[in-house]
Amino acid sequence: MGQYLPIVVLAILAILFGVGSLIASKLLAPRRPNTAKGAPYECGIVPSLEAPERFPVSFYVVAMLFIMFDIEIIFAYPYAVASNSLGVYGFWELVAFSAVFFVAFVYVVARGALDWGPVKKPRRLVSRDGDILSESRSVSTTIRRVGFEGRETREKVSV
Amino acid sequence: MEFFVFVCSALMILVGAVGVIVRKHPVHAALSLVLTLFGVAVLFVAQEAHFLAAVQVIVYAGAIVVLFLFVIMLLGVDRVENLRTEPLSGQRPLAVLASLGLVAVLITAILRGNQIFNERGTGLNLPDAQDGPDANTVQLAESIFSQYVVAFEVTSVLLVIAVVGTVLLTRRTRATAE
Amino acid sequence: MIALDSLFFENLLWTPLLIVLAKVLVVFVIGLLATLLMVWFERKAIAGMQNRVGPNKTGPFGILQTLADGIKLFFKEDLFPTRADRFVFVVAPFLSFVPAFLSFAIIPLGGDFRDGNSGEVTIFGQVTRIQLADPPIGVLFALAISSIAVYGIMLAGWSSGSKYPLLGSVRASAQMVSYEAALGLSLACVLLLAGTLSTSGIVAAQSTITDWHFVSTGLVPFFIFLIAATAELNRPPFDLVEAEQELVGGFNTEYSSIRFALFYLAEFMNTVTMSGLIVTLFFGGPQPIAFGDFVFDIPMLPNALEGSVWLLAKILVFLYLYVWFRATLPRLRYDQLMDWGWKLLIPASLGWFMLLAAQQLGRRNDWNIFLVTGACIAVLVICYLLLQAAFSRSSSQRERQGTMF
Repeated sequence: MGQYLPIVVLAILAILFGVGSLIASKLLAPRRPNTAKGAPYECGIVPSLEAPERFPVSFYVVAMLFIMFDIEIIFAYPYAVASNSLGVYGFWELVAFSAVFFVAFVYVVARGALDWGPVKKPRRLVSRDGDILSESRSVSTTIRRVGFEGRETREKVSV
Repeated sequence: MEFFVFVCSALMILVGAVGVIVRKHPVHAALSLVLTLFGVAVLFVAQEAHFLAAVQVIVYAGAIVVLFLFVIMLLGVDRVENLRTEPLSGQRPLAVLASLGLVAVLITAILRGNQIFNERGTGLNLPDAQDGPDANTVQLAESIFSQYVVAFEVTSVLLVIAVVGTVLLTRRTRATAE
Repeated sequence: MIALDSLFFENLLWTPLLIVLAKVLVVFVIGLLATLLMVWFERKAIAGMQNRVGPNKTGPFGILQTLADGIKLFFKEDLFPTRADRFVFVVAPFLSFVPAFLSFAIIPLGGDFRDGNSGEVTIFGQVTRIQLADPPIGVLFALAISSIAVYGIMLAGWSSGSKYPLLGSVRASAQMVSYEAALGLSLACVLLLAGTLSTSGIVAAQSTITDWHFVSTGLVPFFIFLIAATAELNRPPFDLVEAEQELVGGFNTEYSSIRFALFYLAEFMNTVTMSGLIVTLFFGGPQPIAFGDFVFDIPMLPNALEGSVWLLAKILVFLYLYVWFRATLPRLRYDQLMDWGWKLLIPASLGWFMLLAAQQLGRRNDWNIFLVTGACIAVLVICYLLLQAAFSRSSSQRERQGTMF
């Protein structure tokens, strides 16, 4: 148990250092709070929206998967340290243990739990005028549509 | 020395445990839980169960409470809850009943097992500090991989059920995804 | 065999206690100094890479710049956001700062490990190590500490009561948690070969270049560890936590004055510690570079002190590497980050661990090593194909139905 004594002393020292610097800054630093300083920092813009109430549930799935792998790791360490004396039987136990995890991992991946970000291939774009990706669409039609949109007369615009 | 460590960690555990119940804010309660788990790790160290102490910190404090905090943050329940509303009707009387039962069980266990306190156990077959730093870990490994194989393998199945369950529960159904 | 630090075997008397205090003080001061110098080094090196001069006013070569910045921060107003959770907001910097110092404790900082020496030195009649603490769990202590360090960042962002810090901290905790698994698994490979958890034991087993296991741990586990450590440190290219273009300053946006300085200190302290850990695990720590019987010995220095010089030299290589990463590599996108961690690093490190375990088993039982390796590779290829099938199934389904989570 004595082996941990230096760590405890170091932790106490670190905490004292932190508290000491906080006290020093309290003594040295000015304190003139106002509402603008206390408001959430958003690059100078007055905050209008609340902080998001909910986050995507994928984060939760990641945390759950992490627990699974953490326990795999925790059991891998004793094996790694004692592999000398555990022999063939111990190895197959570890293989069986990991295989179960691996199968679960494959299942979770196949269900799309670890896919992040936008969908890679864009879906077919459909606009008011019909299918944008239609064969009749060419450079000239696009330019004309963009150029004429919102204009009163066609004559004024030269393409 | 050992007594001092015991008192310190016991205080940590108790303060944490009371904090979990008393603090109204979910995040504060989760942090109190970390304190409790950390205290248990210190107790493990005091019992020379070094590997177990590391596991306690890595898995419980490092993974499981992180999961709790994730849930608290993800669901946006990190506001102080109104304790007046009762989400499940009849929950409170049942809770009182259950806790009274638990207290009764504890008291009988202590009363019935009274003579244990007067006996000195033979002690565990702990490795000596002179056996090298890994004696504790090796001993643990040998018992996990031989005597407690079934429990070890069942752990993996248990975790797999948890993970697959998570994925199935959180996955959007096809209808809502459209 | 490497035993625990003998300083603590007898009753703790005044001399050992004083040695402990002295060691703690020295390690703490070294830690602070290393952090100050690391900040300067990073700024100077990056300036060089970007064709700038970098800090050059305070002290020779601007070496006192960090000190000046630190002193300046003492005089800055300590803002307290009105919507912050007061208790957690105060505690969070400590949860980041204290662990950063603690994991430094288990790195062997010197000592003579040559010729089967145990790296112990005698100070005032007491035999001890040039290492702050040597707990029986060894490197697991560093892992435990790094799992505690997640809280600092997570709670800092949450308690600020502001949008961007919250986003930063949720990202950060998911990132740190993901890469911790890869970190732990590649660490298991090293432990498998070393057969011990003790850091001094691991170092003692790596006395020559060939003992550094360039093929078995240098090839895959080292690179996985390096990448995972970079992600764990939230350093570029994995600094999505404080991606300034999107999240202002990330989790510590609302922190100012000395509270911010504590986070900053912790970040650089962690970088130094992680480099030290890499050197300890993969490159023999304070051991001199040696080929067989030939040792690069620095003359005129006692071997124990020479160890510290070697350690410093090796750590500097990795510190430079981290600065180089920052100057060179563009930041990853979040989905790329998650893909790297979960779909590449974790399966790869798990597979490599099983391969090493099988090889070790084969060597012990005198099986045909080529047969064992071949069989393992065959199984791993099948696993890889399975995983690939899963990836392609999920991505094709995603294209058809959109995101499922």
